[in-house]
Amino acid sequence: MNGDGAVAGPTAERDGGVAHGPGAEDRTGVPAVEMHGISKRFGDVVAVDEVDLEIGDGEFFALLGPSGCGKTTTLRMIAGLDIPSEGRLAIFGEEVASWPPDRRPVNTVFQAYALFPHMTVAQNIAFGLQMRGIRGAEADRQVAEATALVRLEGMEQRRPSQLSGGQQQRVALARALVNHPKVLLLDEPLGALDLKLRQEMQTELKALQREVGITFIFVTHDQEEALAMSDRVGVMSEGRLLQVGTPAQVYEHPANRFVADFIGRTNLLEGVVESSTTLRLHAGAVVAAETDLAAGTPAALSVRPEQVRLHGRGETPQGAPCLDGVIGDATYLGHAFVYTVSIGGSGDGATTITVRAETGSAALAVGEPVSASWLPATTTVVAD
Amino acid sequence: MPWLRRVKPEAAQQTAARPDEPAPAAAPQTPAELDTQRRARRTGTLIATPGALYLLIFFMVPLGLITVYSFATRTSTGRTSLSGWNLDSYERIADDVILGIIARSAWLAFLTTVLCLIVAYPFAYYLATRPPRLRARLLVLVMIPFWTNGLVRVFAIRFLLGSNGPASALSEAMGFGTFRILFTPTAVVLGMVYGFLTFMVLPLYVALERMDWRLVEAARDLYASGAKAFWRVTVPLTRSGIVAGCVLVFVPSFGSYVVPEILGGAKTLLIGSYVARQFQAARNWPLGASLSVLIIVAMLVAVAVNQRNSANAERTGAGAP
Repeated sequence: MNGDGAVAGPTAERDGGVAHGPGAEDRTGVPAVEMHGISKRFGDVVAVDEVDLEIGDGEFFALLGPSGCGKTTTLRMIAGLDIPSEGRLAIFGEEVASWPPDRRPVNTVFQAYALFPHMTVAQNIAFGLQMRGIRGAEADRQVAEATALVRLEGMEQRRPSQLSGGQQQRVALARALVNHPKVLLLDEPLGALDLKLRQEMQTELKALQREVGITFIFVTHDQEEALAMSDRVGVMSEGRLLQVGTPAQVYEHPANRFVADFIGRTNLLEGVVESSTTLRLHAGAVVAAETDLAAGTPAALSVRPEQVRLHGRGETPQGAPCLDGVIGDATYLGHAFVYTVSIGGSGDGATTITVRAETGSAALAVGEPVSASWLPATTTVVAD
Repeated sequence: MPWLRRVKPEAAQQTAARPDEPAPAAAPQTPAELDTQRRARRTGTLIATPGALYLLIFFMVPLGLITVYSFATRTSTGRTSLSGWNLDSYERIADDVILGIIARSAWLAFLTTVLCLIVAYPFAYYLATRPPRLRARLLVLVMIPFWTNGLVRVFAIRFLLGSNGPASALSEAMGFGTFRILFTPTAVVLGMVYGFLTFMVLPLYVALERMDWRLVEAARDLYASGAKAFWRVTVPLTRSGIVAGCVLVFVPSFGSYVVPEILGGAKTLLIGSYVARQFQAARNWPLGASLSVLIIVAMLVAVAVNQRNSANAERTGAGAP
């Protein structure tokens, strides 16, 4: 054990204070998309349940959730491909809930792209222009511009089937952006790409959004993608919108158990709220934790793996909440260690804490007794 | 030799640049593998034999006979002399009367095809957009007429359209007077549409059922109205079904014999009936045979067009170089 007791721990506060403000570049003041009490039912199935949402002009917004959570249906309602069963939907102040898709100033990049197989790349891109009566030299100019924007020059006469997945994705983007939509909807646009290409396209999409300045609404089930790309994230589950906030807000202060668990990895330490500042964990300890929940409510403390520090037994800093345990498993990841700490206690109290520690500190051996501690400010009390 | 060293890596690169080239043909095979292959081939031949024999005896041989007869001579007594081969009967086809019959047959077959397409497309569209279980039931409804004797169905139409039939009674009751449609080209077209509609519905249904409806959504999203999305996306993407249906209806309509015989009048002589007449009453086998050959050649051309079309559809569709 090191003299100061801290054998491993996060190096610095990973503060999310530099988050992009929501709708930071609100240019008109009118939200790009406004939803009030939007619901969609298919027969008995409630796909989207009373969603209220405002998305600012120029924002890169991610709708995040597991498959079947209603995120795609929400997007389709904005596009006009599904009509809401209930609620109000406005795009730049105009009530569009019952408008057909061809009247809405939005375009979609579909999952799997839905490129027209019987048309060339250029014809695909020109389709929207043609439908709006833009033809001839003006159409050619705009198609060339969009082709250049997504760097597809030289591919104009190819068919979609002759393109790679990444190229098809660019065609889909160009086909939508050539129309200068007020809002661009993207339905899992990176889902069909392999990992490396996906990461490239993440960067590219972000740059593209800055370049064109259009509001992007992006549907994904990949939380890393959502955090990495968007200004704000809306987390959905079972048709409900659970939390909307910047990636940092959502990650650091999840609104409930689902969000805490879905976004990133976390330790959920079960317990009962004791007061507005304390939580009694089943593992035994009473720990400091701010909460609005009423005393007696079953809740869990969400502690991120990288916020946990491991110390020798009895060497925890004064006042910091801590739990004693034993290293149950250690995994070396190159840039970090991941430890699983078995917390003692019997029955309900037995649990494990996952700890992520930077490499560079001494490795801990399996079976070593440790104390796990954290700063109360880095944790969140979550209920169902 | 320095250049040799330079050449060698290049050659190696060439082979390495084509790793996806199929190799199995050149791959060495063990005797066991070869044996299995040979046995599989033998089994295949065995299975195909009965069908092949049947086609040979009852299809290829008559077809050959027809072709032979088309070059034969008709004697003054109406017998066919298998000597003195000539092209006389083919030359007779250029006769105005016969050309007129061919033109009329083609025209009625064309009308039948267009009507079938107009009737079948919306129906196939409806079918293909129903939930799968309902689809299966509706498809059975389409097939039911097929389980009834074709001749009986044509006579049923004759009764329906006849001057004493229900159609006529209805028109009289509504004050339009007697219904005179039987024994006209209209009746023939109606009968053929009824008879061949299924041939149009099925390929259209298959094409529409395979349609990726997300493409229609994409078109709608790109400012196409419902109608425009239909003409610009749905129709082109179901083109192979449209062409297949048209060929399948046009071919039998053109050579149709039963329907025009029963529903058509003396004025609506079509090529099918005319050919039959050459073999029966007119006893001019060479002429009947050469007309048959001509029809077959025309149909083969149509089928070839259809096949090229579906090959094209495949190229522009999913699979591609």
